[in-house]
This record gives sequence, structure tokens and C-alpha cells, in this order.
Amino acid sequence: MKKPRSLVILLTALLVALAIAAADIVVVKIQATQLRKNPQFFAPAVVALKAGDKLEKVSEANGWVQVKTSAGLVGWVHSSAIETPKFALTAANKDMKTQATATEVALAAKGFNKQVEDSYRAKHSEANFAAVDAMFLVKVSLAQIADFLKKGRLGDFQGVK
Amino acid sequence: MAVAWALMFSSCASLDQVTGALGKAAQAADDAKAVIEVGQKLRSGFADITEEEEYYIGRSVAALILSKYPVYQNAALTQYVNLVGNAVAIYSDRPEIYAGYHFQVLDTEEVNALAAPGGLIFVTKGLLRRCKDEEMLGLILAHEIGHVAAKHGLQAIKKSRLTEAFTALGMQAAQRFGPQELARLTTMFEGVLTDIVEQLVERGYSRAAEYEADGMGAAFGARTGFDPKGIVRFLQTMVGDKSAVSGKGWFKTHPTPEQRIDGLNKQIAAFGPVPAIDAVRTKRFQQFFATLK
Repeated sequence: MKKPRSLVILLTALLVALAIAAADIVVVKIQATQLRKNPQFFAPAVVALKAGDKLEKVSEANGWVQVKTSAGLVGWVHSSAIETPKFALTAANKDMKTQATATEVALAAKGFNKQVEDSYRAKHSEANFAAVDAMFLVKVSLAQIADFLKKGRLGDFQGVK
Repeated sequence: MAVAWALMFSSCASLDQVTGALGKAAQAADDAKAVIEVGQKLRSGFADITEEEEYYIGRSVAALILSKYPVYQNAALTQYVNLVGNAVAIYSDRPEIYAGYHFQVLDTEEVNALAAPGGLIFVTKGLLRRCKDEEMLGLILAHEIGHVAAKHGLQAIKKSRLTEAFTALGMQAAQRFGPQELARLTTMFEGVLTDIVEQLVERGYSRAAEYEADGMGAAFGARTGFDPKGIVRFLQTMVGDKSAVSGKGWFKTHPTPEQRIDGLNKQIAAFGPVPAIDAVRTKRFQQFFATLK
């Protein structure tokens, strides 16, 4: 009995997979980033993006991807900030998309997460998480990096006197 | 049927999509649990570790490194190292990472630099003492960013351990782990950390990984506008070193400095024209490094 069911599942899967490829949806995989006006880190920001935001891919150039938000805003994100969703199903209709997204959220919350870190910390007092947290308190903004590059005649500012 | 299989397994991306598709199709058949297991089993290698998981693994690896080495308390120098590192990261192959790149100076005379997964990077005071200009520091940080971009730390995780973890993670669709599941996953997490820390601190990366990070670092450094020969000049300070620190850190965990210099000279020659060292940068480097005690 298993074989026919497997066949149906595989064929359904194939159809949905092909539909996904046509939809070209990408998801933000890092905590926070910006949608930028041009494909450059120092370009003006269009809107803030966060982990899980879904974007429609428009075009690609030199490691940057032009995308459209659900609000219709168009801009650029670096390819290292996004991924093709693993569990999202975007084909068929809106209801199906919503259900699939819920599944994706449930699965995404699993894995080595804060709950596992907390459990590990409780068992390992020797691990110096206070010093790790202190590392995250040292922040350098994009504006500071741009100033640093400019004064050092580096990056986008090479040759600028 | 043969066509279906060929199409489905034509790329990793389509395999992921099929994984998702399998989950949805089975939901429709009211058989979600079994299919999620199938999906999770397809998540089997280090490349399938999510960005968020890498962040949590990296935090714990960093916490273990920071239990072995004290932090060097010098806010101005720490800020400067973070600026140099983040400047290079922007011109790397992996400029965006889950919670950003963060750099810390360790208070030890050992000559070493370490990169935890997720972009937490450490350099020792002993290593900084050998840097004479911003190019040297920039190129060392670029080498470490190379390890992060290539996910060399995650590659240290034993395949059997990942397979076991991914299978366990796929057993339930609930958002929070129950006590038994959490205890089991914590044990697996401990194993993952052991694999990575042993490689980073004790054994060192393979020679292939080091040469790859050297090549990536030289490229990232040159793209940033640094003279990529900065890493060669740094390695020259290690040639023939008979000091008390030789045999530890970068001395122990890398190919010999001479071998690396040879490899780098060839790679840099292939870049064509490269940026030159700039006195403006050396001056600011010296101002910050005057505070290094």
C-alpha cells in the first residue's frame, strides 16, 4: 500500500516544487538588515528588514538581489542576508501559503536555539557567556564604518583625498 | 517516475523545496509527523545548519574560548579592532551574518587568532604586538573572516552527530522542546561544541582549510583597499621564531609560515595590481596601538 501513496506524494511534491521555482520567493535569514536603494552597503535605506521577512525576487547583480516587499517597496539586499525558503509552499492559493508558513515557523523555531543554549548554560557554569554578551555590546554602525573607510582611503573611498 | 526523480534531485535547492513539498503534501494527507521526519532527515550536512543555529553554536564556542583566555580590557583598542574587522567583512564573501561580526582582543602573549561560527572573532595581544600597521591587522582579521565565510568551524562537526541531531529535531513539530527532548538535544549540543573547540583550539584546521582562508583573506583585504602583502609581512615575523610562545596558537595550528608565504605570494601575484600601504592608516594604527600594554 505504501508504494502508490509515495508516488502520489512525490508527484504532488514535484508540482509544488516547480510552482515555487516560478514564484521566486526569498526570506531574510539574519536578525536585521536594510532594504537599500542601490546595490551597495552605503546606499540609502528604503526600509528595515528582519528575520523571516518574505520578499519577491526581481533581479540579481554582483552578489546583490533586487527584491519587492509585501508592501510593494523595491530595493536591494545582499545575497548573504537571504535564502530560498526550505519549507514554504507558495503555490496554489493564499490559504495554502498561510498554512505552509505556519509550518515553516514551527520548524524554524526548532533546532539549536535559545532554549538549548539556556539548558547548556545551566549545566556549564565554566562557559563565559557574560563575556560573549559583552562582545555584542560593542557596536559599530554603518556610518562609523563609512567614516573609518573614508579617513583611511579604503573601500568605496579609495583614492578620495 | 524516472523523470520525476531526475528533476527532483537536480539541485540542492530543488531538494529543499521538495522537502517542503513533502511536508505539505503529507499534511494534506493528515500525516504531517512522518513527513517532517523525512524532511529533517534530508537536512544532514553542515551546510544545512541554519543561520540562527550557527549563531547559537558560535555563542557557546565563544563562551568556551573565553573560559580559557581572559578578555583584554581596552575599550578604545577593542573599538578600533571592531572597525577594522567590520570594514573588511563588508568586502568579504559573507558580509551579512545573523547578528553581525564582533571582535575581541584576548589578554595572552600567545600568538593566535580564532574564529567561532557566527562571526565571533578573537585575536590575542601577542598577535597584535607583531602587527606594525593596519594592513597586517586587516589581513589577519580577513583570514579569520575567511574561516567564517567558508564555515570551516561548522565543518568540524562529526557527520554522525549532525545526522543524529537533525533526526531528533524532526521528531515533533511543537515549538518548544519537552524536558526529555531538551536533555537529549543539550547532550548533542555539547558534542557539537566539543568537535568545534577541539579543532579550533587543540588540533587546528586542516592545511587545505588554512590555505583556503589565506586566499580568501588576501582577496577580502585587497577588496577593502589594504595591501594584501600585509599578511606576508606578518608571517615573516614568525619565521624561525624560537621564543617561548612558538609551539602554541598560530604556530601550532597552521602550516609553517614559510609554506603559507609561498602560497600567498602566488595567490597575490594572480590578483594583478593591488592597493599599496597608506601612511594615513599606519598613523592611526600607531595611535591606537600605543595603548597596548
